[in-house]
Amino acid sequence: MFAAKLLPQLFAFFGIAAVVLRGYPERRRPLAVSVGAGFAVGAAVAFFLFRNFPGSFPFELIRTVVGASFFLFWGIAVTALYRSSERALPDASGRSSRLDAVAAPVIALGAAVTAGALAACRFSGNDAPLGPVPALVLLLVIGALLAAAGFFLEAKLPEALTVSRAGTLGGVVALLLLSSSYLVRLDLFSPLSMKVMKGCHDFVHQFMESVLIPDHLFVRPQIWGYIGILFSKEVGFWGGMVIWFTPFLLVAIAVRFELLPSVGHIRQGAQRRKLLAAAIRQRRMKLIVPLLSLVLMAGAAYRSSFPDVEYWDPKPIPVAADPSGDVFIPRKGGEVDLSDGKLHKYLLKGGAREVRFFVMLTPTGKLTVDLDACAICKPDGYGQGEGSVICYYCKTLIPLETVGKPGGCNPVPVAFSEKPDGVHINGVTLVNAWSTTVQSTGAKKEGGK
Amino acid sequence: MLFRILKNSFLKRPKAVVLVFISIAMGAAVATAFLGIAGEVSHKMALELRSYGANILLEPAAVEGGGYLRETDLPKIKTVFWKYNITGFAPYLFGVADLSANGKKERAVVSGTWFAKQLEVPGEEASVQGIRGIAPWWEVNGRWPEGPDEAVVGASLAKRLNVGLGSEVGATVRGRAARFRVAGVVTTGGFEEEQLFAPLVTVQDFLGKPGQVSRVLVSALTVPMDDFGRKDPNSMSKDEYEKWYCTAYVTSVAKNVEEVMAGSRAKPIWQIASAEGALLKKLNAVMLLLTVLALGASASAVSTSLMASMAERSSEIALMKAMGADRFQVAAIFLGEVLIVSTAGGFFGYLAGNQLAALISHSVFNSAIASPLWLFPTAIVSAFLVALAGSVAPLRRALNIEAVRVLKG
Amino acid sequence: MTVPTIQTAGLTKGYGDICALKPLDLQVAEGEWLSVMGHSGSGKSTLMNLVGGLDRPSGGSLSVGGQDLSALSEDGLARFRREFVGIIFQQHHLVPYLSAVENVMLSQYFHSVPDEAEARLALERVGLGHRLKNRPGELSGGEQQRVCIARAIINSPKLLLGDEPTGNLDHKSTVMVLELLKELRAEDRFTVVLVTHNEEVAAWGDRTIYLDDGVLVREERLRS
Repeated sequence: MFAAKLLPQLFAFFGIAAVVLRGYPERRRPLAVSVGAGFAVGAAVAFFLFRNFPGSFPFELIRTVVGASFFLFWGIAVTALYRSSERALPDASGRSSRLDAVAAPVIALGAAVTAGALAACRFSGNDAPLGPVPALVLLLVIGALLAAAGFFLEAKLPEALTVSRAGTLGGVVALLLLSSSYLVRLDLFSPLSMKVMKGCHDFVHQFMESVLIPDHLFVRPQIWGYIGILFSKEVGFWGGMVIWFTPFLLVAIAVRFELLPSVGHIRQGAQRRKLLAAAIRQRRMKLIVPLLSLVLMAGAAYRSSFPDVEYWDPKPIPVAADPSGDVFIPRKGGEVDLSDGKLHKYLLKGGAREVRFFVMLTPTGKLTVDLDACAICKPDGYGQGEGSVICYYCKTLIPLETVGKPGGCNPVPVAFSEKPDGVHINGVTLVNAWSTTVQSTGAKKEGGK
Repeated sequence: MLFRILKNSFLKRPKAVVLVFISIAMGAAVATAFLGIAGEVSHKMALELRSYGANILLEPAAVEGGGYLRETDLPKIKTVFWKYNITGFAPYLFGVADLSANGKKERAVVSGTWFAKQLEVPGEEASVQGIRGIAPWWEVNGRWPEGPDEAVVGASLAKRLNVGLGSEVGATVRGRAARFRVAGVVTTGGFEEEQLFAPLVTVQDFLGKPGQVSRVLVSALTVPMDDFGRKDPNSMSKDEYEKWYCTAYVTSVAKNVEEVMAGSRAKPIWQIASAEGALLKKLNAVMLLLTVLALGASASAVSTSLMASMAERSSEIALMKAMGADRFQVAAIFLGEVLIVSTAGGFFGYLAGNQLAALISHSVFNSAIASPLWLFPTAIVSAFLVALAGSVAPLRRALNIEAVRVLKG
Repeated sequence: MTVPTIQTAGLTKGYGDICALKPLDLQVAEGEWLSVMGHSGSGKSTLMNLVGGLDRPSGGSLSVGGQDLSALSEDGLARFRREFVGIIFQQHHLVPYLSAVENVMLSQYFHSVPDEAEARLALERVGLGHRLKNRPGELSGGEQQRVCIARAIINSPKLLLGDEPTGNLDHKSTVMVLELLKELRAEDRFTVVLVTHNEEVAAWGDRTIYLDDGVLVREERLRS
């Protein structure tokens, strides 16, 4: 289950290794090593960040890196298109090979570090099956294995399948974006379309204000209709799509317009045509990676638009009662923010008993403290979905508004006192409520009939 | 060059091409029509079974029609075990009355109900209950009744009585008379269009049945029915019964509500709806089967006509092979042709299929249908599939042609 | 000492029980013009098909242009045909719905990429510059055969095979076609193997071999 969730990140890393090796075939061995090492470094750095900067900072950082790589690729794509329109043949030696000596390791390392960090993000949640150290060790092993697999399997690909410089970077960026689209917190497409929508909105606003034409003579209702389109939600989506896919198309176009070798000097027609045909075939093969990247990007956008629906179910945080029997939950502490409208689960150990309860802010704006169990079902607990919590035992959806009210399969509310700094609960009350509930769950068997 | 070959080959052998085109277009047309109708039928079905409608019907337990439910029991519905899962309910009191308006007389059902009643239940939060909550799809032309003598009239009843907004409708039953002012005309798509709806209290007075209710419709948030939910509660073990009771199946909620309404019997409405759904599912399956059969038939027609044209062209293919065309190049020419024909065939098939669907829908179901957008790619894709399936055998034959034998002959 | 264009050793071909070609040892030098004579059913067409990579030998070794044909795959043979061999048939075998120049371009297309200008030049070279756009049905037999020659030489083959190329032509056209072949060979220096049952046609070659019932019965060198 968890392994399946990690799969997209691992697949992306494997793809990155293969693409980079194919892109710079003359440096395969050192590149494979640096890719493997980069993955390990990335994972290690990510775990270091999670440890020292709890909260969203590590995610912001990784997201920024992935986003920056996308915009860097935009620049490369435009450059590639510009250069393909030059009336000059791409020279195979000299300048470009010196550039490669720098670019290849930079791309390989950068991509691998990011891929490693992305894979490590999977282990950041409360549901991770492993602690950070075993997880890191596991990732190191997997990274080395995948880099080796990439090294050997890439050699098995047909030799004719080549990739242009820009295509290599494009493939790498597409794989990184695909990988990050599987992590809801690192998703980039939705923020991108949001930004586009906002940008468009602001632009139209400013433009209209500067022209000062709320009721302009020439702006007829139909035109206002078109202007209205610019404000709609669609514009963000489609605008985002354009920004999302264009660089890959640019690279594909650049490949398509690469000049064919000059064959004028070859006297014999058949030979001349053979050279041309070979060049055309090679050019077609170079299109494969950009087109595959487009598919990956479509997958990433789809992921972003339709993320997996999962119930929010954090791992209970252990709490303890102070000598006076008071359990205190701070309003803000660590990654927890009680007023974010999410379920926050806690675990109180009182003697042999364990009491599971949660604190959440309901949409009505009130904090509520409830047992992670209802009055009738087995105490399997609750998960939070869209606008409701679900009882895992009987799969009944309970509207968020009614959480904190007794009855039905609703979680059993517990008395508490709300202070500015947090929530105080009497530990004895909690333990009693839990034991009577669990008992009455047993007793109810008779009462129900 | 490929394009030139294809163009010339089309122009040279129009008959064979037209034959393939027609078989593909027919297949695509039938697929479009059937899938379009099936989709429309399921769409209508989905409307019927809409999740937010009422799904529990409370009736008096006494079968002989004399029984009534008590209006005073109604607030108890908001206190039952599953109270938070009950999103709304509305009581009804029915009676047949003679209606008259503008000199026209009609017999029709007068229903007393709650439209949007503020309900105060001690110990619970105040809520608004009534038709507006449980039947949000009702389209009211005008407004909902506010005063005690205002009513909404079903669209077809309004037509029969020839009344509109603001008209007065007189009603008499067993010597009692009442007058209602039409506040709105309602379109529901169901039997409600034949009725007149007025506030419950008014109708109770009018029918002489104070405090009485004929039935209650309850809308509850329920868990989809599964095999466990269908089990008979009486045959369950304790554990099972507990789980069943605390799972919000429509049946358990219904039982829950039934317990608080004195003399009532609760029926989950899905029992009716799912029978209907099963029928429609079968209908859909038949449609799908017919579609697959039609597509298969057109694929074999494509295959036959391609085989025939293959025999005609075998010397041409043998020549290409002799000139050094490899299997990929031969297949490219062959499939290129088929693909072009099937795109065109799919397109025309889609257009024809749409007409066909409209025709069938009009004559069989007596309703116009709106063709969903996904049908177009479906038609094109099914045309491709038909063409590809049909060209497998001819293509194999083309690839296996031995240049030597054919060219010698 | 150059490698012979065609080299066979113990080459045989059988169709079921029928043995079309008995073990045959043959060498054809680069640039040579070989005529193959024999009655119908003597195995001369079989030999031509084997040499042209249209058919596979049943036994023995066959190497053409240094390639062992029996080791090639189906697509490998196709590749060999388009890059190494030009074939002229008795019945022309032009694609009926394509014009003369398109028929030549078809050969270019299978070989690499079509080049219309080059195809025109080739047709001009065989004296058909004025009939570029005509379909095969609108051309005389001699003209059609000249289109075939243009098509056969367009990819600069090392080996030109003719299976009774003049069998359907009158005397005047026959001479014209053979004259053309001779000129082209002088320019492009390809090897020619012509299958014929006409002594007069065979006399255009450097050497003639006679096949009877799949056996090489006689060999005659005319010039060296």
